[in-house]
Amino acid sequence: MQQQEIHNFLLSYFRANECPIIDNKPGYMTVQLTVEMDKELMNRPFYWHYLEKTGGIPNPMRLTLITDQKMAPEKIKGEVIHFGSPRLHQIFESTKKLARYIRLYENHQNRNQQTALYPWLCINVKISYQCDRKRDVFKSIGLQLINGRMVENFHDQLLNIPLTPKIPDYSFTLSPLVKPKSGMLRIERYLKSAIDSEDHTWADEAIERWDNDLKLLDHFYEDANEEAAESYEIEKKALQEQYEPKIHISFINGGLFYLTDKAI
Amino acid sequence: MTIEIQFDSTWQDDFLHKIDHDGPWGNWELFKLAIMVEKHLVIPEFEGLQAPNYLPNLTPLPHQLETAKQVIENMNGKAILADEVGLGKTIEAGLILKEYMIRGLVKKALILVPASLVTQWAQELNNKFYIPAVTQRKSYVWDQCDVIVSSIDTAKRNPHRDIIYKQNYDLVIIDEAHKLKNNKTKNYEFVQNLKKKFCLLLTATPIQNRIEEIFNLVSLLKPGHLGSESVFYEKYKRDSRSLNDDEHLKELVNKVMIRNRRADTGIKWTKRHVETIPIEFSDEEWDLYNSISQLKDIGEWFQTSSFSVMTLQREACSSREAVFYTLKNMLQKKEDPSQSFQNQIDFLIKKVEAVKRNSKAEKALELIQKINDKVIIFTEYRATQLYLQWFLKQNGITSVPFRGGFKRGKKDWMRELFQKHAQVLIATEAGGEGINLQFCNHIINFDLPWNPMRLEQRIGRIHRLGQEKDVMIYNFAIKNTVEEHILKLLYEKIELFEKVIGELDDILTKLEFGNIEDHLIDIFSNSHSEGEMRIKMDNLSSMIEFAQQLKEGDNHAAAGNS
Repeated sequence: MQQQEIHNFLLSYFRANECPIIDNKPGYMTVQLTVEMDKELMNRPFYWHYLEKTGGIPNPMRLTLITDQKMAPEKIKGEVIHFGSPRLHQIFESTKKLARYIRLYENHQNRNQQTALYPWLCINVKISYQCDRKRDVFKSIGLQLINGRMVENFHDQLLNIPLTPKIPDYSFTLSPLVKPKSGMLRIERYLKSAIDSEDHTWADEAIERWDNDLKLLDHFYEDANEEAAESYEIEKKALQEQYEPKIHISFINGGLFYLTDKAI
Repeated sequence: MTIEIQFDSTWQDDFLHKIDHDGPWGNWELFKLAIMVEKHLVIPEFEGLQAPNYLPNLTPLPHQLETAKQVIENMNGKAILADEVGLGKTIEAGLILKEYMIRGLVKKALILVPASLVTQWAQELNNKFYIPAVTQRKSYVWDQCDVIVSSIDTAKRNPHRDIIYKQNYDLVIIDEAHKLKNNKTKNYEFVQNLKKKFCLLLTATPIQNRIEEIFNLVSLLKPGHLGSESVFYEKYKRDSRSLNDDEHLKELVNKVMIRNRRADTGIKWTKRHVETIPIEFSDEEWDLYNSISQLKDIGEWFQTSSFSVMTLQREACSSREAVFYTLKNMLQKKEDPSQSFQNQIDFLIKKVEAVKRNSKAEKALELIQKINDKVIIFTEYRATQLYLQWFLKQNGITSVPFRGGFKRGKKDWMRELFQKHAQVLIATEAGGEGINLQFCNHIINFDLPWNPMRLEQRIGRIHRLGQEKDVMIYNFAIKNTVEEHILKLLYEKIELFEKVIGELDDILTKLEFGNIEDHLIDIFSNSHSEGEMRIKMDNLSSMIEFAQQLKEGDNHAAAGNS
C-alpha cells in the first residue's frame, strides 16, 4: 500500500463512519471522531464508563494522522501512519469487523415496469495454506439462489453495479429456491473440491520435512530413559505443529445481493 | 493426498441469524474497504519477506535480510544465529518474528534474554518492529500478553515455569544461548522441556566451543540432528575441538546455524586505536608486589595453590584494596590456620597498609581529565571498582558502577545515568556482557583479563553497529610485572586489540590446545625462571600467530577460487 493509498483509505473509512473531516491536506488529515468511533479506536473504556455514570457531556477525540511526513508541515503534531503502524492495522481490523454482513439491492433505472431482483449469496474468503510456511488466496464467490449458478470474482463484478441498501421502486425480490444455508454448503463443497484438485506439492514436501525431523527425534530418544519420555512427547507435538499441512478457509465478509436478471 | 480443510462456521451462524432478524446490515463502503484491505494483506507466496514492507523506518542490512529469508525458507524456522558480535542478531531475530507474525504463523512468542537486556529487547521490538512485546514483571503477564521478554532465570523458577509450560508458544527466542552449552544445568533442562515450534538461538561464540557444547546446543534446537548422545560421542571425542576438521560435522552444523562474518558484510566499521600505557609502581606498591611474588618460594603457600599467588600478583597490579579483600578471604576460609600462615597474611596486610597511593588510579584520573568525554573503565575486581568510584569522586569526576549481578532495572538505570549524567562507567568483568554502550568510544582496561575472548566482549560493548566514532582503547600495565608480560608477550604480539571483532574466535579455534587461560596459568606458575617464562610465552604467541596465518591462507585460497 502506497502512502497515498493509505491516505485515501483512511478518508473513506472515516467518512463511511460519519466522522467529520476537519482538515484534509497533502500528507495529513484531522478527523473529529464520533462517540462510537472514539469507543472503537481510542481504547479508553474508563473514560466512557465514567461519563455514562456521571452523565457528563461526551467529548470524543480529534485524531490527526500524518500519512506523509515530507509533505505535512513540520508544526503538525499527530500519529505517523505507514503500512506497518499499529494504528493502521487497528483500523484495518475495525473495517473488517464493521462490515461482516451486508444486504444490498441493485439500484436499477427501470422506472416503467416492475423488475424482478434475483437473490445472490456472496461470500468473500481467505484460503490459507499452512505448514511451517504459509500462503493465502483471496476468493470471492457468488451463488445465484434461484438457478444455482456459481460465479468467481464476484466482488469485482459487483463493483460495476449501482447498489443501494433500500429496495428500489418498481422492484420485487424473488424468493430463493436454494436456502442460504444450503447455498453456503454448496459453496463450501465447491471450494473444497477446487482445493482438492490443486497441486499440493507444498504439503508433500512439508510432510517429508516432518518425517525427516521425526526420524532424527526418534533416533535421539532411542536410548533415553523413561524420564525423557515426556520431553519426547513435547518435541513430537512441536514437530506436528510446525509442519502439519492444513488449509484454513476463513470468512472476510459476505451477504445477500438482489440483482437484475442481466446484471451478472 | 488429503489435507484437513478447516471451514470457519461462526460467520455462517451469525449470517443466518441476521437473515432471520433482517439485519442489522453493514455499510457498502466499509464492505468494499474491507475487501481492499484484505487484498493488501493476503500473501500469495510461501517465499519472500513481507516484513520490510511493514517497517519503513528500519533499513535492514543485506546480510540481515538474507539471514531472515534463509531461516524461514530453508531452515524451517529453527536456527542458531551466530553472527559475529555486533552484526545485529537482534535485528535478524526481530525480522523473523515479524515475518511470522505478519503471516499469522506466530501469535505467541517467548523471548528469553539476559536480565540486563530485557528492557532493551522489549524497546527494540516495540520501536523498531512495532511488535507489542511486554517485559515480564508480574506472573499474570504470561497468559495475558502474546509476546513476552523475560530473563531465563525468572522464567525457569516457579510459579513462572509451570505457567510458561502451559502456554502454547509458537516461537521461542533465546539470546546469549551459549550459556546453555551444559546439558546438566537447570536452564538447559528448562529450555529442553519448552515446546519449541519455531526456535531461534542467538549466540556470538559457538565456534570456540568444545564439540560437546555444540552437540548440546544443536540438540536443544533439533534433537537428533547430530545423532543420539551415545552415537555422537562414539564418533567424536567429548573434549575434542575438531569441529573444523570434520567436514561432515561442520556441514551438519551449518544446516542449522548461520554465521555472518563482518568481513563478508561489506559494512564500514570505525577504527580501533590502541594505546598501551606503561605505569611505574611507587616504592610501597613495589614492596607489596615483591612480597607477594616471593611467596612462591615458601612451602605452605606453594602447596595451597600457585594460582592464589598469581591472583594476588594480578590484584596487586590493580589495587591494594583487591589484595586486601583476597587476603582476608583466604584467612577466613582456612580452617585452623597455622601460626606461620597467619603471620604471612599479617605481614602482607602490613604491606598493603603501607601503600598510600594507587599509581594506576592517578594515571586514570589524568587520562579521564584529558579525554574530557565519556569513558568506560573495566576492572576485574569488585574492590578496585569500589575504590575507583571513591577516588574519582574525591577528584570531582562523576561515575556509576556496573556489575553483572545488578538486577535488570538497576542495569538499565545505571546505563541511563551514565548516558545522561555521569562521565565514567566503572564495570567489572561480569558487566562486560549484555549491555550496549555505543554512545561512548573510550575504554580504559584498568587491568587485563587472561581470556582474550573476554577482552573481545569488553570492546564489543562499544565497537558495534551504531558506533560512529573511532574507538580508543587504553591498556594499563604496570612495568615489569605479570601484567606487562601478558600484554607485551601475548596481546601485543598477536595484535589482539587491532583485530576486527570476531576474528579472534576464528583464530583460536584453529588451535587445538584448549583454553588459553589454562596455558597462561601454567606458564606463569610453573616456570622456574624469567627466561623460561619468556620462551613459553613466545611459543604460545607463535602458535596463535601460526593459526592466524592459516586463517589468512584460507582467505586467500577462498579468494582465489571465487
